[in-house]
Amino acid sequence: METQAFLVQQIVNALFLGSIYALIALGYTMVYGIIQLINFAHGEMFTAGSFIGLIVLGALQRMGFVESHFVLSMFVVFAMAMAYVAFLGVAIEHVAYKPLRRASRLSALLSALGMSIFLSNGMMLSQGVSDRAYPPVLGTGGIHVLGARITYGQIFIVAFAVALMVGLNLFVKKTKLGKAMRATAQNRRMAGLLGINIDKTIRTTFVIGPALGAAAGVMVGMYYGSVRFDMGFIPGIKAFAAAVLGGIGNITGAMVGGMLIGMVEVLWAAFLPSEWKDVTAFIVLILVLYFRPTGILGERVIEERV
Amino acid sequence: MMRKLCVFAICLGLVFGLHTLAAAKTLKIGTLSPLTGPYAQDGTDILQGVKTAVALVEAAGGIPGFDKIEVLPGDSACDGGKATMAANKHINSGVHAVVGAYCSSATIPASVPLNEAKIIQITPASTHEDVTERGFKYLFRACPRDDAQAAAMVSFLENALKIKTLALIDDKQTYTVGLTKNIRHLVENHGKIKIVAHEHIAPGDKDFTAVLTKLKKIDPDAIYMSTYQPEGSLMARQAKALGLRAHLLSEDAVYHPKYIEVAGKAAEGSFLTFAKAPDTPERRNFEAEYKKMWGVKKIGSYAYYAFDAANIILGAVKIAKSTDPDKLEQVIRSTTWKGATGTIKFDHKGDRGASYIIWVVKNGEFVPYWNPQTGQYF
Repeated sequence: METQAFLVQQIVNALFLGSIYALIALGYTMVYGIIQLINFAHGEMFTAGSFIGLIVLGALQRMGFVESHFVLSMFVVFAMAMAYVAFLGVAIEHVAYKPLRRASRLSALLSALGMSIFLSNGMMLSQGVSDRAYPPVLGTGGIHVLGARITYGQIFIVAFAVALMVGLNLFVKKTKLGKAMRATAQNRRMAGLLGINIDKTIRTTFVIGPALGAAAGVMVGMYYGSVRFDMGFIPGIKAFAAAVLGGIGNITGAMVGGMLIGMVEVLWAAFLPSEWKDVTAFIVLILVLYFRPTGILGERVIEERV
Repeated sequence: MMRKLCVFAICLGLVFGLHTLAAAKTLKIGTLSPLTGPYAQDGTDILQGVKTAVALVEAAGGIPGFDKIEVLPGDSACDGGKATMAANKHINSGVHAVVGAYCSSATIPASVPLNEAKIIQITPASTHEDVTERGFKYLFRACPRDDAQAAAMVSFLENALKIKTLALIDDKQTYTVGLTKNIRHLVENHGKIKIVAHEHIAPGDKDFTAVLTKLKKIDPDAIYMSTYQPEGSLMARQAKALGLRAHLLSEDAVYHPKYIEVAGKAAEGSFLTFAKAPDTPERRNFEAEYKKMWGVKKIGSYAYYAFDAANIILGAVKIAKSTDPDKLEQVIRSTTWKGATGTIKFDHKGDRGASYIIWVVKNGEFVPYWNPQTGQYF
């Protein structure tokens, strides 16, 4: 393998990992932007999405639907997982965060931590402690670009992740609900006085964020081939770091942060001792926060924050 | 006054009576295995293996002198600190013997307080040499050792596969590092194979593409994955997706039906070291009972060893007619045991004499491939 092919291959690896982190980071950043809460249960929603995807995909495959209608069944799997987890997100907001909206931020934070532990243990009890295998739908077929091997699964996942992120950007910038979200993020009380339905706006955030996390969960399941009840923990931490790195509360920042963490991790492991790669991701975070306490895009585009 | 005394006497009698009743008639067996965290599958296999043994002995009439046999699960979480805590909890609740732990990094520290408290401990799965190299009187090992495991693999690579270059990957835990160290030592002493890379990964990680791409560039003939099963499965998948041509090699912790289930076609053709047990009536009986009891189709590799470890303890109590640790230790050491994993006779270190063979994954099953003792293919 030549050096050029090696580099291209590593960048492909990084792009894939980065888009997963970015998708999860969006959920953290949106919730933080709207209600200044670090939603620790977000990693568990990612896991829940992965499990729902597995259940739906398994059912479709047993019916032989995946072979006959591949695209449609992919759509169904993602739609079901995202819808279910969106519903879960709203329910969690209603039970764990809404009653604490006027309480101190620490109470809400503890409530989020409790929710995370509750969900993780609930999934352990209901889905078992061991790895569950995902049906191999994406296959290992692929193409060669500049000597690097890219599987169809990677192309599909990165394209879908980018489409989701573009869609989210359009939604926040162009629609009325998106405008309401931006207004609520800037000043909740003022937005309320101007007739924006705050509860509805917050609910919308808890639909979109978890749904994106669920999509990432299904992608991870399909690509890596296994799910486990505690799989959301490490990606959750890294995606949170990505959100902070990009400037928490900032949507573009979360995408940039996610990609950056993916790049740093992969490129570090490519050239230097790979057991240190997790350390480096967080060293980058510390360095960025030291010089720019608000994150990469934290200040500059404050009015874009959601 | 008389009535008060009577009530007092009855109360006292109840308290003491119940106490002796409970203490004398329950045999307590503690387990140590990871019930949470990434290796919870193996931990559950071990717990279920012990429970199967207890259920079968109880169904056959139990042990004379004991009303019932109780299994106390302990979560070692593949972590030295947690395993030691769980071991201390077992000591405080008065267990008579312990089966466990799974990870060598948990067994080694947990065995210290257990040995001091003179509690018989049999590990069903910890293969690192140091487990039995420290001269602990009450510690036994029902599985083979890693020096034998590394030797079997190196002999296979040199004499059967005849490769020229080898890459090692471990996750820096006691067990995995112990193995790569042994392999490196043997390979470098023999001088037939060149080690071209030695990479480390983080346990619990999911993405190994960066490391594997690095190995693709180096292009070794074979990659030795010294990891536990969850990482091993993912690594095999990603190696095939990246188009690596290297043979995939691995060890007893990856040797689990889950490896093939998760890695799917990517597992085909990988070579693993594991002991081969003879097909005895004991083994078939255990398999049937285990499948019936737990409703599973495939049995985790270490459930067999846990079952044997529990049976050795129960058998020793029966023979010694006592739970005195010194008597138990003598009986366990002097008896030849017949179990689901073959014949077990412990040596002075507490090791059983068992050897590894090379298995290959073929059509979704582990199939015996090569025998290092004879140098013959199966």
